[in-house]
Amino acid sequence: MNILETKDLHHDFSGLKVLFGIDLQVEEGERHAVIGPNGAGKTTLFNTITGTYHPSKGKVFFKGKDITGYKPHKLARIGMGRSFQITSTFTRLTAFQNIRLAILAKHGIRFNLFRYVDKMKDITRETEIMLERVNLINERNVPAGLLSYGKSRALEISMAMATDPELILLDEFAAGMSRDETHNAVAMIRKMTEGKTVVIIEHDMDVVFSLADRITVLHYGKILATGKPDDIRDNQDVKDAYLGDLHV
Amino acid sequence: MMKKIIKPILWLALLVILIFFPKLFGIYYTNVFVTFAIFATYAVAVNVLLGYTGLLSFGHAMFFGFGGYGTALALKHIDGIALMPAIGIGFLAAMLLALVLAPVVTRVSGTAFAMVHLAFGQLFYILALKLRNITGGEDGIGNFPIPAFTIPGLISFPMKGDPVNFFYLAMVLLGISLWLMWFFTKTPFGQIQVGIRDNEKRIDYLGYKIPQTKAIIYVVSGAFTGLAGSLYGLFHNLVSADGSLGAMISFSPIIAAMVGGVGSFFGPIWGTAVFQVIEELTHRFTDRVELVMGVTLILVVMFAPSGIMGFVNTMKMKWHAYTASKAKMEKTS
Repeated sequence: MNILETKDLHHDFSGLKVLFGIDLQVEEGERHAVIGPNGAGKTTLFNTITGTYHPSKGKVFFKGKDITGYKPHKLARIGMGRSFQITSTFTRLTAFQNIRLAILAKHGIRFNLFRYVDKMKDITRETEIMLERVNLINERNVPAGLLSYGKSRALEISMAMATDPELILLDEFAAGMSRDETHNAVAMIRKMTEGKTVVIIEHDMDVVFSLADRITVLHYGKILATGKPDDIRDNQDVKDAYLGDLHV
Repeated sequence: MMKKIIKPILWLALLVILIFFPKLFGIYYTNVFVTFAIFATYAVAVNVLLGYTGLLSFGHAMFFGFGGYGTALALKHIDGIALMPAIGIGFLAAMLLALVLAPVVTRVSGTAFAMVHLAFGQLFYILALKLRNITGGEDGIGNFPIPAFTIPGLISFPMKGDPVNFFYLAMVLLGISLWLMWFFTKTPFGQIQVGIRDNEKRIDYLGYKIPQTKAIIYVVSGAFTGLAGSLYGLFHNLVSADGSLGAMISFSPIIAAMVGGVGSFFGPIWGTAVFQVIEELTHRFTDRVELVMGVTLILVVMFAPSGIMGFVNTMKMKWHAYTASKAKMEKTS
């Protein structure tokens, strides 16, 4: 079953057309990578799916339900989470408080004005477990704005996962990471997304081919090809457009 | 461990000082302190929006004024109304105003939010001047009756012309207000609030509704500002357009919060205290208090941009770094 599906999705920024009829299908439980050269429309595709933009034409379906034009908070509540290419954490809050906000959101604790948040033991424990799993426990009380680049990327990704979504969209999670950091991040994502559906946008071909079950290649706002990594590697169109000069 | 013992002792000491304040410092300074406490609570209420949610309001005087006028009108027109319900009416009037404005103002942030408030603030200022038969125009509403604070069948404290009794009433009400606002910052809701300040987009993507969250904190801020305004009106036994709704009434808590430090809950209280002291001292030499305040603000913005509390925290961190490095040096040598 397709957990996420877009039908004839178009988007233009007041005249500048970016997406030309995208038909994307993401199956439940798979790790799906969206690749393509700069300006292919990958992030715009993410933004139209996750509610940052309203698509100018076409529909988005999540678990068979039409979610076109849903606002981000509504999507988050029905089980869609995302991370950002440009790190988007709460810079003045500690790593712990960052994750805790995601955990609170997961439990739907939103308008509670009657309890000390520090005394919610379950929430604290759950947050600490999460911090341990992503190797941030030593940075528990460090403000997110002061974390090293690799650590703040890890925080970025773990916030998307902490809300426990069914579908996670990761926008270039390895952007700017060193080899080692990328390696660790891939291992972490593998471990933490077990049994979940993941859609990633990625430039690093090593990451894509080691992580993805299926790949969609985007080229100037259109889908060039979709398939298993091996098929994509051998696809002549893809080679011509994109992979050819990358020596995969 | 030490901290755990010291903190309650300090709070207890403060409580004792407050209880004996009128006896210790006399009527004049008791009145000065009431003014300080009212404006400190007001500044904290403004800072709940400014420092904790990142919303700058240039028109909070309208809540202050609604509180004051609400209480004054109730006392003037409703026969036999007791003191607490009259204060409650001021509180509710400001709360109601915030509830009405919330759907409009929570859709915007940043400069737009500030300017919308400047406009609304000035609107109510002009209205208070123009609606003479209700608000008394420029003269305001003065010398309205202030009933005694009574617990039926038990005791009765006269309020009118009794600054000491009023001091205790104000301390209790303002203390409760401050505690409640402090408590709100410690709840899950308070966390979402600082999240909005830091990164609105991410809060949205985590599944929190931003306008609703802002609206609640806006109403809280407005209502407690109204309470401060109500007490201010009672304190002077006068509410007027300039005294309760003027632009300076909107700006002074912002300035106090900035001088004290918007990043901290207690910062605005320190800021208000600094200005109160400056005002007292300056008045001995000249009437140009605003001049000295302005210079102070410029100095603070230039040399301690995060305010007194920010400055203290930086110094603390530097001191810790210094002692840590010194300990390291001694170890190696």
